[in-house]
Amino acid sequence: MTRGGFEGLDACVHCGFCLQACPTFLATGDESDSPRGRIELMRALERGDLTADDAALAYHLDRCLGCRGCEPVCPSGVQYGHGLEAARARLTTARGVPRLARMALWALTTPGVSAVVYWFARVLRATGLPRLFAGWGRFRFAMGMLAATKPDGKRRYGTVRDGEGRRITPTVPYRPLPSLTVQLFRGCVQDGLFSHVHDATVRTLGINGYDVREVSGQGCCGALHAHAGLIDEARELARKNVDAFGDGEEPIVVNSAGCGAMMKEYGRLLGDERCERLAARVRDVTELLAGDAIKGPVPGAPLDLHVAYDPPCHLLHAQGVAVPPLKLFAAIPLLELVHVPGAAECCGSAGLFTLLEPEMSRAVLAAKIERLRVAAPQVVATGNPGCVMQIGAGLAAARVPARVRHPVELLDDSYRAAGRYE
Amino acid sequence: MDGLPTHRRLPDLVVLPGTREELIAVVRLLAAHDVPFVPRGAGTGLSGGALADEGSVLIVLTRLNRILKMDAGNRAAIVEPGVVNAKLSAAAQPHGLQYAPDPSSQSACTIGGNVAENAGGPHCLKYGVTANHVLALELLLADGTMVESGSPGGEPWGPDLVGLFVGSEGNFGIATKITVRLTPLPRAVRTMLADFNGLRTAGEAVSAIIAAGIVPAALEMMDQSCIAAVEDSVYAAGYPRDAAAVLLVELDGRNEAGVIAETEAVAELLRKSGARSVRIAASEAERERLWQGRKKAFGAMGRLSRDLVVQDAVVPRSALPQVLETICTIAKRYDLVVSNVFHAGDGNLHPNISFDATDPALKQRVEAASAEIMSTCIAAGGTITGEHGVGIDKLRYMPLIFDPESLGAMQAVRRVFDPKERVNPGKVVPVHACREWTSIRSAKFGMRNDDRQFNSAFPISHSTLEPVP
Amino acid sequence: MTILEKVTALLGEGAVLEPSTDRVPRIAPGSPDAVALLLGTAHQEGWRVRIEGAGTWLQSDAPADLALTTRRLDRIPAVEPADLTATAEAGIGLDQLRQQLADRGAWLSIDPPGLAGRTLGSIVATATAGPLRHGFGPIKDHLLGVTFVTGDGRMVQSGGRVMKNVAGYDLTRLQAGGFGAFGVIVLVHLRLRTLPRADVTYLLEGAREDLTQVGEDIAAAGLTPAALELVSPALARRERWVLGVRLAGSPALVAADEAGLRAASGGARFMPLRAEEAHAFWMRLAEGFAVRPVTFRIGGVPSASDELLDLLQHQLGDEWISASPAAGAIRWTGDATIDRLQRLRRTLAGLEVPLTLERAPWPLRGAVGHFGAYREGVGPLVAGLRRTFDPGSALVVATEGS
Repeated sequence: MTRGGFEGLDACVHCGFCLQACPTFLATGDESDSPRGRIELMRALERGDLTADDAALAYHLDRCLGCRGCEPVCPSGVQYGHGLEAARARLTTARGVPRLARMALWALTTPGVSAVVYWFARVLRATGLPRLFAGWGRFRFAMGMLAATKPDGKRRYGTVRDGEGRRITPTVPYRPLPSLTVQLFRGCVQDGLFSHVHDATVRTLGINGYDVREVSGQGCCGALHAHAGLIDEARELARKNVDAFGDGEEPIVVNSAGCGAMMKEYGRLLGDERCERLAARVRDVTELLAGDAIKGPVPGAPLDLHVAYDPPCHLLHAQGVAVPPLKLFAAIPLLELVHVPGAAECCGSAGLFTLLEPEMSRAVLAAKIERLRVAAPQVVATGNPGCVMQIGAGLAAARVPARVRHPVELLDDSYRAAGRYE
Repeated sequence: MDGLPTHRRLPDLVVLPGTREELIAVVRLLAAHDVPFVPRGAGTGLSGGALADEGSVLIVLTRLNRILKMDAGNRAAIVEPGVVNAKLSAAAQPHGLQYAPDPSSQSACTIGGNVAENAGGPHCLKYGVTANHVLALELLLADGTMVESGSPGGEPWGPDLVGLFVGSEGNFGIATKITVRLTPLPRAVRTMLADFNGLRTAGEAVSAIIAAGIVPAALEMMDQSCIAAVEDSVYAAGYPRDAAAVLLVELDGRNEAGVIAETEAVAELLRKSGARSVRIAASEAERERLWQGRKKAFGAMGRLSRDLVVQDAVVPRSALPQVLETICTIAKRYDLVVSNVFHAGDGNLHPNISFDATDPALKQRVEAASAEIMSTCIAAGGTITGEHGVGIDKLRYMPLIFDPESLGAMQAVRRVFDPKERVNPGKVVPVHACREWTSIRSAKFGMRNDDRQFNSAFPISHSTLEPVP
Repeated sequence: MTILEKVTALLGEGAVLEPSTDRVPRIAPGSPDAVALLLGTAHQEGWRVRIEGAGTWLQSDAPADLALTTRRLDRIPAVEPADLTATAEAGIGLDQLRQQLADRGAWLSIDPPGLAGRTLGSIVATATAGPLRHGFGPIKDHLLGVTFVTGDGRMVQSGGRVMKNVAGYDLTRLQAGGFGAFGVIVLVHLRLRTLPRADVTYLLEGAREDLTQVGEDIAAAGLTPAALELVSPALARRERWVLGVRLAGSPALVAADEAGLRAASGGARFMPLRAEEAHAFWMRLAEGFAVRPVTFRIGGVPSASDELLDLLQHQLGDEWISASPAAGAIRWTGDATIDRLQRLRRTLAGLEVPLTLERAPWPLRGAVGHFGAYREGVGPLVAGLRRTFDPGSALVVATEGS
């Protein structure tokens, strides 16, 4: 009899080393909002000491971001994320999915419906109104999130020119690279609002010797469903993607950390070998660009930018991808990384969390925004659509003058400035 | 529930005051209604000291986490009790200072909890324990009265109430403001790892270093089973898995040349004492890695099994080799996994027994072995806890090292602070073993024997040493 | 039966010594148990007992029915050089203890004020640290445990003889600096260091302000001397103020610190002392505090040291004074009136600086008290602890002023 993920919690000896790694505990100081406290609740749920309709249990588990920031600091290797998924599935069975979550999932991930939603969103975005309305209230925050998805058309970060106005191009010659075929995962939100990131992904991978192929029949990765406890629906979506991407050998490139983390778990989710093999092909775009540890991406032209890197939880904690994004920044001369304390802490976006638990989400975000205000970067780089929107909305609401962009967008700018695309 | 896996309790109510004023109001309300309460920090304690029973209110102090003052000139800071140990050191670092006591749980544990337990840590060998670093305390007693003890310079107002309070495990009240001494960061540091074929030889190496008059900043030991747990974790430090024991030795000081000279002397001593190899950390990153492995070792024990008995005995340092060997023998006899990870330089042992509590027969064996290990340490002239505190976990051992009169004295002192014994009830002093201090004593003096040679503070009666059911 | 007859019957004739000058019978119990026996009886009989050591520090003048001296409790049950611990009875003289430890290569790194034969019990009970507190901390940091007898004759142990110990409440720290108000210390477990292989002292003479500056520079340079003491001319027996710097430890470390000292002190000319000169310097300093009638200490924050020295100079004069500026500790000795001491204590309390009266004739210390100007909540706790450990008020101790 499988325990559905609860077994991942067995190693916990309550040492408490996770507390300070938990953004929600830092926000409330309440141990029930900490990994150790929630593990206790989840264990009680599994034992049957607490039932799935217990209000306090649901309250504290709902307030978990699922950022898994506790996992890399755990000396015992507790698999918190697996336990959480199992517990949430039980909660969902008992009480269903909140209507708001249901609506959001319907609007954002249902083929056909979402196309319309994203079309309207893009039209609204184009008016520039969301940027004007951005603020902390529920509606205004949503506007801020939408504004943050807008591609940066102005290219303000310009290129660096020499004394005579000539563009400085990198001295490293264009490396002839063996062409490798990879398949692009488009996702739902990422495809609807961040198609410019897909474009940048295709271009930058191209420069680094990857031939990016589109795959038809793919859809939402199912991460949002899994986090909401809708395991069966998540499995269904996963299966669809497994079918779409087939049984080839090509790596599957993902530029949304949340989707990547989910797809790397397909094997565990579906429990068959075919899915296991597919999961093993999934790569974050920065992993592919960074190549092997020594080389890093092909260098671009200098960008005179101060950049704060904000590693998405689902990239850093869930996928354990820490260094490749840094290699990417290193390939852009002059670009200076600004150290921001606590950058590795969750921004509070966490999928639908920002919508369902706005209070906690904003509390977690506020701490990060304040630190960004002090560090004052020009650009915050992060590789997950939810984080781009959340941090972007927070910066706009707090009137901190910095843009949020996906790391590949910066590399893309750098390549364009270098004339690589001409 | 806290860091100690073997105990769990459920309080009736949990309160999380967000300010000092709220805390005072809560405590006064509880006093008015005669309700017992238990103060709690981050809950990383290893003696069950912050467990609250039914009928008690748990007061969680994690939200009182402000650093109120950083006085770099006088090397002092004033903090609220919920400030996390490592965060205080981080805040002091730009001033070239640190908060020296560094319990392994420092990334999570609070200064308030450190004060309650008189917490130690690897670097206490050179820098002293919490008690050596607390200058003044603002106390909130059980009945809601405030006490200002100690002064900014550390000199007490009258008797040393600060010294008395530190380590009182929450029984005397809550420290609402804590003034701590900060220590200059060392300018030169060397960390080395030595590995041994036997636990006993490693213990002898420790004695050799101490006897040579060198005071390392830290001198830590880990045995094979502990090494394996750490190496399997995310904190893998590159400890050799085939070694029976490793010693982690750190030397620090103001002067680079002096530290290098001492490092060489220690390396030589280690080799002479039978170390297979001595590796000196070449970079700050390597040093950090060696330390992370040690500091997270306790948490990594979760890899061995779900349940863990954590011991904290201290023995005279010269007794280390013998005691370690005896512990090994006991573990073999009871067929148990005992992992040793401890502050060797202080003689502070942490033999941890991993087991599965769902097996009742196994649990019995664990209890019996624990009691035997404890009696070995006491017989060697040691004590039952060096830094974790008595809490509820070591209550049963208290009569082994203190006579009823001394236990009675402790209880009487506690009643001066808290006459109704409402703060953290049922901890530290085993009430049944106390001689009552309220009545005037009868004339029994004639029975005493004046000629008896008196030279031990520890009358040990082995008859009281029984495994608990 | 007189008190003396009863005591003789209880403890034997050997325990009865010559009475002190004020004709109070002087009893010297030969073992901790005898101390318990004596105090238990005193408690029952309602005798008032004053506590004495070797009689070299606190004046033997408190009004009492009998004087209990610890001077026959002079054994050293254990010295463990390998563990760097020792256990000694309270009546042992510091000079004797030091010699015994040195023979085994061990060192008790304290240098309290007073004569060489001052008892360990007296040093612990009054928590009188000397210049070495700069490098090695206050007296309490050298204690691993104590055994004491309460005013009603109960024997209580606290701590032990291991380096770290959190079993039970820390009654050791209550006794250190308790002035005997909470019982008579009979046995002490000590934390030792190895005898330093290099131990050198440097002196610098000059104006007080200049020396203070040099002291600050030395601290700022990160030097870690064992002692860094600012001594008034009369006490140092020099023309001007003296800054005494003592470096002790391994030859390599001391040599490094000597180099650092030269660099840190700018152009100042530190004068090295020969071993016997150094010994004499520190000893004279300690003895200087046992000569005049009144000695007290105050403790402030390091940055206030200069200001506090000014204040003392202004209120009582600064002829006999010694300070560890970096530890914020100042000791004063001389002659003073009740009124002036009380006023000084109040002024200092306003600056959050406690004044502890270490020694004074009974009329003065009875009126001023060792302690006073308690902060909020301290008074009731001290009174409660007094009642707990001496329920019949058998022990005559000038805890607080009248």
